[in-house]
Amino acid sequence: MNRYFLYLVLLNMIVNVIIFVPKILIDYRYEGAVMGVIIAIPIGVALNYVYCMAINKFPSQGMPEILATSKHRLFKIIHFYSIQLIWFAAGLITLVGFIDILARFVNPEMPKLALLVIYLAAIFLIIQMPTQRVMYFLEIVLFLNIPLIGFIIFQALTNKFLSWDSMLEVGTHIFASPSLKSIAAATYCFSGYANLIIFNRVIKGKLKIWNFITILFLGIFNLFTTFFIPIGFHGSDGAQQYLYPWISTADSLRLTYSPIERVIFLFLMFYMSITLISISVHWHVSFELIKATFKGKFSKKKNWIVIATYTVCSVAAVIYLNTVLLNKITVYWLVFHLGFEILVVAVFFIWARRQTV
Amino acid sequence: MKPFSSWKFLVVVLLTGLLLNGCGFKDIDKRFFVVSIGVDLAKNSPKKYLVSLKFAVPSSSKDKPTAFMIVSEKADSMSEAVRIIKTKVDKEIDFSHAKVIVYGDEVVKENGNSGINYWFVRRRDIQSIAWVAIGKPSALKVLKVQPKSEYIPSNALFLALGRDGSESPYIISEYLFDFKYRLIERGFDPLLPIIKAKKDLFEINTVGLFNKSKLKLTLNPEETKILNFLRNREEKSANKITKGKTTIVIATHKVKTKYKIYTPKGEPPYIKVNVSLEGSVEEATRLVPNDKLSDYERATEKSLSKEIENVLSKIQKANVDPIGFGLRYRSRHFNNDDWEEWKRIYPLIKFKVKTKVQIEDTGIIE
Amino acid sequence: MPTNKVQTIKEGILNKIHKPEDLVFKENQTKEKYMEVLYIKSISDEAILHDNLLKPFFETSSSEEFLNFLQSNPKVSEFESEQKAIDELMRGVAILFYQDDVFLFDCKMDRNNAVMDTTVETTIQGPQAGFSESLPVNLGLIRSRYPNTTLAVESTEVGKLSKTKVMILHDTKFADPVTLNRVKKFLDTVDIEMFQTGEQLFDSIRKSNRALFPLMLVTERPDRVAVNLASGKVILLVQGSSYAVILPTVMKDLMSSMEDIYQAYWIAKFLQILRYTAFNVSMILPGLYVAVSSYNPELFRVQLAMSIAGSRTGIPYPSFVEVVLMLFMMELLTEASIRLPKAIGPTATTVGGLILGQAAAEAGLVSNIMIVIVSFVAISNFVVPINAFSFTIRVLKYFILLFSTLFGLVGVVIGFFMLLAYMVKLDSFGEPFLTLIQSKPSKE
Repeated sequence: MNRYFLYLVLLNMIVNVIIFVPKILIDYRYEGAVMGVIIAIPIGVALNYVYCMAINKFPSQGMPEILATSKHRLFKIIHFYSIQLIWFAAGLITLVGFIDILARFVNPEMPKLALLVIYLAAIFLIIQMPTQRVMYFLEIVLFLNIPLIGFIIFQALTNKFLSWDSMLEVGTHIFASPSLKSIAAATYCFSGYANLIIFNRVIKGKLKIWNFITILFLGIFNLFTTFFIPIGFHGSDGAQQYLYPWISTADSLRLTYSPIERVIFLFLMFYMSITLISISVHWHVSFELIKATFKGKFSKKKNWIVIATYTVCSVAAVIYLNTVLLNKITVYWLVFHLGFEILVVAVFFIWARRQTV
Repeated sequence: MKPFSSWKFLVVVLLTGLLLNGCGFKDIDKRFFVVSIGVDLAKNSPKKYLVSLKFAVPSSSKDKPTAFMIVSEKADSMSEAVRIIKTKVDKEIDFSHAKVIVYGDEVVKENGNSGINYWFVRRRDIQSIAWVAIGKPSALKVLKVQPKSEYIPSNALFLALGRDGSESPYIISEYLFDFKYRLIERGFDPLLPIIKAKKDLFEINTVGLFNKSKLKLTLNPEETKILNFLRNREEKSANKITKGKTTIVIATHKVKTKYKIYTPKGEPPYIKVNVSLEGSVEEATRLVPNDKLSDYERATEKSLSKEIENVLSKIQKANVDPIGFGLRYRSRHFNNDDWEEWKRIYPLIKFKVKTKVQIEDTGIIE
Repeated sequence: MPTNKVQTIKEGILNKIHKPEDLVFKENQTKEKYMEVLYIKSISDEAILHDNLLKPFFETSSSEEFLNFLQSNPKVSEFESEQKAIDELMRGVAILFYQDDVFLFDCKMDRNNAVMDTTVETTIQGPQAGFSESLPVNLGLIRSRYPNTTLAVESTEVGKLSKTKVMILHDTKFADPVTLNRVKKFLDTVDIEMFQTGEQLFDSIRKSNRALFPLMLVTERPDRVAVNLASGKVILLVQGSSYAVILPTVMKDLMSSMEDIYQAYWIAKFLQILRYTAFNVSMILPGLYVAVSSYNPELFRVQLAMSIAGSRTGIPYPSFVEVVLMLFMMELLTEASIRLPKAIGPTATTVGGLILGQAAAEAGLVSNIMIVIVSFVAISNFVVPINAFSFTIRVLKYFILLFSTLFGLVGVVIGFFMLLAYMVKLDSFGEPFLTLIQSKPSKE
C-alpha cells in the first residue's frame, strides 16, 4: 500500500471543512444532498481508479516529464495553463476561507492582511522545496495531527447531546432527486488524487488495488462525519443557520478533564497546520507546472515574478471577497471543478492509452 | 542561494506586516471578564429589558477570594445594553469566560423573547457550551448570590450545572447550543433548569418546559427526576416505595429507557416505554429479608410505572415534547408531511409504560 | 664526509628556516661515523632522540652497522623532498645527515596525551574516559574499542596557516561511499586560516556560511565514536583537539545520548520522549504565554485566566516586554555562569536565581507566573544532550516569541511549522535532517 498516495487523498478529505463542503451539503439536505453523497462515492472512487491506472504506466514521473515527449506544444500549454489556474484557485479559496475563519473566531481585531502575511511567508517557504521534501513535510504534519482529529471525532460521536434521531430524519429524505451542487461538493473529498500530477515523482512502484478500497472506506466515513455530525448536534432544521457548521459543532464539545475546555481551539489550531500544508500542496503543483511551461532554465528573476503574482492575487482576493460572496463563488467553482476534473482524467486516460499501445 | 533569499524575503514581508496597525494585542489585565449574564424585564421603564453582567475582579494573591461586581443596564436590546455598560467600566469587556446565562422568570413567561437567545449564539466569543437557566424570582437576584464556599464568582453555579460538583438527579442542565437546537427543531421542545435564589445558596431542583416561544409548564422535583430518567441522563437517584408497613429507599445505579412509537392502522396510536432500573437498598424502616426482595421489586415497578405515566400525560396535556417523540416519529417515516401527521397524533397518543426493577444488593447488612 | 648533494640540501633547508632560537644543529662524530642532526628542540622529544639515536650511534662500532640500524628503525624515514622535510621539521621531526643520505627521525613531543575524564557529556554509569588532545592517543582509544579490519583511516590537512592534521575514519562495510566523497570534497574546500578544532567547521558546512542548526556532532567520548562508526558515520579526528567530529548528523542523533544504550529499553524510550517534550516546551512556552495572555485568554479555563490576571496586576509594561526582560536576564545568568571562577560560581547562581526572581516579583517588575515559565524554559533547555543543539533552541524560541507577539496564537502554530519546514529542507551531507533511518550504502 503506497502511503504517500493515501496522504494526498486524506489531506483533501480533511480540508474540505474549510472549503464550505459541509455548509453546501447541509443547505441542500432536504433537496437531494443525501442521494448526492451516495452518488458521489462511486464517482469519486472511479475517477481515482481511472487516473491511477493511467499514471501507473509512467512510474516516478510527474506530468511535465510525461508530456515532454509530446509534440503538440499548443495542447501541452493549454493543458498546463488550465490546470495551473484551477489549482491556484483551489489553494486561494482555501486560503481566503481560512483567513476569514481566523478573523472571525481567533483574532477578530486583526486586519486580515496581517494574517495573510504570515500565511504567505510560510507557504512561500514550502512551495519552493523539492517535491520530495514537501511530501516529507506532509507526512510529518499529518502524523502530528491525525490523533487529534481522531480524538475530536470520537468525542463528537460519543457525546450525550448527539442526536441520532436528527441524523435519521435527514436520512429519510434520501429519495429526493440529487442536486448537482451537492454531488460536486461531495466529490471534492476524493479529489486528492489529482495532485499526483506532480507528486507522482515521489511515488515509487505501482498503485495497487488495496489503495482504492481504503479510499472507499475512508471516503464513506469522512462524508458521513462531515455531513451528519453537525446535524446531530444542531438539529435537522437548525444546522443550516450556522455559517460554519463544523466549527460550531467543535464549539459544542467540552473536555471536562483537560486544561483546555473548549474544543474549538484545539480544532482551530489543528486546522491551522492542515490548511497550511493543503494550500502549499496545491500551490506547489501550480508552481511546478509554471516552471515546466517555460522551455529554458528557470532563473531567479522568474521565480520572484511568479511569487509576486501569487502575492498580488491573494491580497486582492482577501480584500474583495467577504464571506457571503466567497460562499457563492465556491459553490460555482466546485461544480466547475467537477466537470474539469472529469475532462482532465478522460483526456489523460485516452492519451496514455494511445501512448503505450 | 535560494534559502538565503527566502530568509530575506521573509524579513521584508514581516516588516511590512508591522506597518499594518491594530492587531488586537490587549493584555490580560486590561480585560474585564464576564462570568455570567442575566436578562430580566425592566420594571418602571420605557425600555424592555434589564441586562446584568457579573464581572470577576482578579486579586493579586491567593489569600483572598476573587471579588465580583455586577453592572446592570436597562435597554431595548442586548447589544444596546452591552454598549452602554462598556462606558461604565474601565476595562475592555471580555465575554470569553461567560458560562452561565440566566433568564428572569418573567422574561420566559412572555411571548416573543427568544430573539435574545440568537444574540448569544451569533456572537463568536460566547461559548456554545455555556449553560442556560431560568432565574427565580429574577435573574439579578440569582446573580447576586455568593455562597461562601466559592473561590471564583459564579463557580458554584458552574459546578452545580456542570455536574462537576454534586451530582443530583433533580438538576437538568442545558447548554446554549442545545437550547437553540430545541428552539428550532420540530418535534423536540426546549427545557431549562430553574434556579431559585435563597439567601446564600441556590436551589436547583425543578425544570421549566417550553414550547417554541415561551414557558408552558413547570415540573416539581419528583417529576423532574422522572424526566431525567426518561432522557437517559441520570443514573444515580433515590426512589422511595412503601409496601405494607415497610418503606424502603432504593438508590439506583443504572437507569435505561427505551421507547418505540406504534401507529397501527385503524387502532389508536400508542408509545411503549420500557424503563429498566438497577439499584441497591439504601434505607429501610424495617428488616428486609433477601427472599422478600422480589416483592419489593414488583411494588416499585408498579408505582414507578404509574408515576411515569402521570408525568407523560401532564406533559402531553401542555402540548410540549421535551423528550423528542415527535423527532423520533419524523425520523422513522419517509413521507414529506410527517410533521403535520404528528401534530394530529400527539394529543391523542397513549403511553404504555413497563418498568423493570432489579435490586442488586442491600449494602453491608441485609 | 658529507657529499655534495647532502650539502646542498642542508644549506637549502637552513636558509629557508631563518635560524630560530630553539633550532639545534649538532655534529656527532665517532672514529668511523659522522652525523649531523637538525631539529627544533621545543617540539622534539630529546629523550627519545638520545635513547634511540645518539646512544646507538655511540655504541655501534662500524658505520655499516649504523646505516643498517638507521634503515631498519621504524622511526626513520627516507628523505623525499626539501619542502616536505621542512614541513616535518616544523612538526618536531629531526633531520639526520649521515654519509650521503638524509633521513628523517620521528621524535615528536606529545605533551597533552593524558586521557581526560568526560566533562560535558557525562553518563550515570558507563565509561567515563574522554579523548585527550593528542591524535595518536585518540586513534588508539578508538581502535581499542573497534578492533576491525574494516576500519579505514585516512589523513588530510586543513587550515592554510595552522596546517592541522585531520584523520578521517569510517567503516567500509557500513558507511555510504557517496557520503564519504561528499565529506572529503567538503574538507578540501574549507577555507580557514587557523584551524584549531572541529567546531570551526559548523559554519562552513552550509554554503551560505551562516548556519543556525548544527549539522555535525562534536563529542568527547570514544564509546560514542565507536557506536557511530558501527552505524555507518564518518568520524574526523583533529590534531590538538579532544573533540571528535561525527558526520553526517541528523536530528535523531542530536537528541540521543549514550544513556539510551546503557539503560533498559523502556527507560531509554521514556527518556527520549522526555527529551522531545522538553525540546518542544522550551521553544513554544514563552510564545504561548504571550499569545494566551494578550490575544486569546479564552484558551484555558477561567481559573487560570484569573490567576494570570491576578499576578499581572501592577506590572507596568505589556506581556511581551516582560517575557523578553526575563529571558534576557536568564541568558545573562547562563552566559555568566560559564565564565565565573569556581569560587564565586555557586554564590552567583543563588543570587541570580532566588533573589533576583523573588525580589523582582515582589517589586512588581515581573509576574509570578512569568518566573515559573522562565525557569521551566531554562531547565528544559538543558535536557537536550548535545550542547550545540541546545544553543540552537535558545535562539529559536525568540523567533517563535516574535511571531506570537505579532500574530497571537496563529503566530505560535505557524511559526512552529515554519521551523519544521525549514528543518525538513535542511540536509546534512545528503541525509535529510529529520530522517529516522540512516541511509545504507546501496548494494553494489
